[in-house]
Amino acid sequence: MVIIMGEETKDIIMSTIRRDVMKGTLQSGVRFDGRAFDEYRKIEIQKSVIKTAEGSAVANIGNTKVLAAVKFDIMTPFPDRPGLGVFITNAEHLPTASSSFEPGPPREESIEMARVVDRAIRSAECIDLESFFIEKDKVLGLFIDLYVLDHTGNYTDTANIAATAALLDTKMPKLEDGAIIRGEYTGPLKVSSLPISTTMVKVDDYWLVDPSRDEELIQETVLTIGTTEKHVCSMQKGRGAVTKDELLNGIDIAFKSGNDIRKVLKG
Amino acid sequence: MEKKIVLPGEKIADSRINAPNTYIDGNATYAAVIGSVDNEGRYISLENRYKPFVGDTIIGMVTDIRRAGYLVDMNIPHSGLIVSREVRLKLQLGDVVLCRVKMVNEVGEVELGEVRRLPKGKIVEFPTAKIPRLIGRKSSMLNLLKEHAGGDVMVGNNGYVWVSEKSDIPLFLKAVEMMKLKAHTSGLTDEIAAMLQKR
Amino acid sequence: MGEKVQLIIDGKRTDGRTPDEMRDIRIEAGILKEADGSSYIEWGGNKIICGVYGPRECIPRHGASPYHAIVKCRYMMSPFASLEEHGRSGPSRRSVELSKVIRETFENLILVEKFPNTQIDLFIDVLQANGGTRTASITAATVALVNAGIPMKDMVSAVAVGKADDTLVLDLNKAEDNQGQSDMPLAISHKDKKLLLVQMDGLLTKEEIAKMVDMADKGCEQLHEMQSAGLKGVYEQEGKKLEW
Repeated sequence: MVIIMGEETKDIIMSTIRRDVMKGTLQSGVRFDGRAFDEYRKIEIQKSVIKTAEGSAVANIGNTKVLAAVKFDIMTPFPDRPGLGVFITNAEHLPTASSSFEPGPPREESIEMARVVDRAIRSAECIDLESFFIEKDKVLGLFIDLYVLDHTGNYTDTANIAATAALLDTKMPKLEDGAIIRGEYTGPLKVSSLPISTTMVKVDDYWLVDPSRDEELIQETVLTIGTTEKHVCSMQKGRGAVTKDELLNGIDIAFKSGNDIRKVLKG
Repeated sequence: MEKKIVLPGEKIADSRINAPNTYIDGNATYAAVIGSVDNEGRYISLENRYKPFVGDTIIGMVTDIRRAGYLVDMNIPHSGLIVSREVRLKLQLGDVVLCRVKMVNEVGEVELGEVRRLPKGKIVEFPTAKIPRLIGRKSSMLNLLKEHAGGDVMVGNNGYVWVSEKSDIPLFLKAVEMMKLKAHTSGLTDEIAAMLQKR
Repeated sequence: MGEKVQLIIDGKRTDGRTPDEMRDIRIEAGILKEADGSSYIEWGGNKIICGVYGPRECIPRHGASPYHAIVKCRYMMSPFASLEEHGRSGPSRRSVELSKVIRETFENLILVEKFPNTQIDLFIDVLQANGGTRTASITAATVALVNAGIPMKDMVSAVAVGKADDTLVLDLNKAEDNQGQSDMPLAISHKDKKLLLVQMDGLLTKEEIAKMVDMADKGCEQLHEMQSAGLKGVYEQEGKKLEW
């Protein structure tokens, strides 16, 4: 069961005050930090930051920072998919990243984030899980661990960029007699498309892409749409409500910013 | 009279009416809970949650004693408060009281006054939306119950009903259960009367 | 390397339905005595029970808000709900996420500001599952909340739309859910036509999504009729006419 803690209540009180102030600024066409409504903060990606993992990347959107690491293990396949490798995404919202994160078992926001990123990557079919088959009852398992290190808004998109970048950084482990030889690689992991999510929030009557923490605290609606080059690959609405038109409009926005981010990813 | 059931979100008036269990959107009023509308357009809720209003008569039980006063369980999420310096009575834990709502503040806290301690008896919960039925036209149902159960009965607006220990409590409970189940059907008084007489 | 299962043969689905046909659905309100409101839904092979408690005292107290009631939702799948192995009891990552999105659906509807410093609990137990439990849960939970007399702006129904064998299909069954190309569960409010639950996986184009929203909308209209019948059924027992 999920409990909204006192911290959140404080946030709600603050947000009513903030909302009135922000509305005025938005009416003049800019956000508090001077960005346009459809503008991301600066995106920076650094790959191969963790040498003990088969692939890794740190992504920054503004000051929000997420580390993604890819590890491989030998696993038994899921009974209903005996020929396919296993793909698992986990997320940790480190208490160092925000006063609203607490130590302890994963809370709903980290579970949701992990599942949203997982769905985007899985749906995009960007990794060939069939190639992870080793022999009967033995497949490779690919783990993506997402560590939110610093949270100043929009950890979902930051995590998605970090995850996709880490996949692009991943080297396939060398196998011998059905075991992984650690530290030896056979070549890069094939990544056939680049799933990227775009999160947008509604404040008053405006849709703002890549929300800052300020904007998240007063959002009426939050919508995350994942895209590949050609398709929508995931959607998740959090708080609030959308109309059909807003949803379709959101898809256009997601393709546009998704394509921009894909350019950054390709370097 | 013809009645029709309306559901939350259904329009009940083309004007802005401030009524319990409704809400206003634009220039119209909508039902917020399941209710019935008669052919004159009157909306009555069929299910609701009790919300105290100043002047309500409530029945409650003293559940805690603080320096400020007595805390009273009155079938709402928070306890009501009887300020001790404003009552001459000395109350004890477990006492059943009949009070009037003196004040309700913005966050739902309730202060109670005009306190009367009730003699020994049982508190029975009854859905607040169905209370008019429990009382009946000119208290007909209530009188019927008092007569057959052979003891006093008090009804609070908060959905707590007190029945004196001198009554035939099993019979009273049977009648109450029947009313809960059939509150919205016609000919209820006759049906209850028949049931009570059979005993 | 699982063999491709054919999900659409001669325009018919594995359970004989046409692409825009829903499964058999039955909804009942007020099935539990103790809860403030309750409902039961049978939807295809899904059997789900819903109970509502509250508004009641918020626990822990520091979690309360002086501005509004806190809505809490716990969706849970029983360990015996699927034909496969005995599941784990207790919350899973999936159930935590679903509890969250279901809660966020109803936060839009419940007039929470009427009950400061309280909580409203929504308990959803999936007893038997056959694809589409989150949408069936939302459809049933609406009925339980109305049955509890909790004031709401609107009612909501939910259904999944998906793509199987390149055909857009309404109300996915388990096979379509597992082996289809895409799954998009949607909850649509009745009066305002707002989308209150939007999730999606698989690969779709914008045009497909637009069509699928329309399909879901039609499905939700049918569902609203059934919810309405289930709720009114409580007051129309034994063929007696409603008096007040």
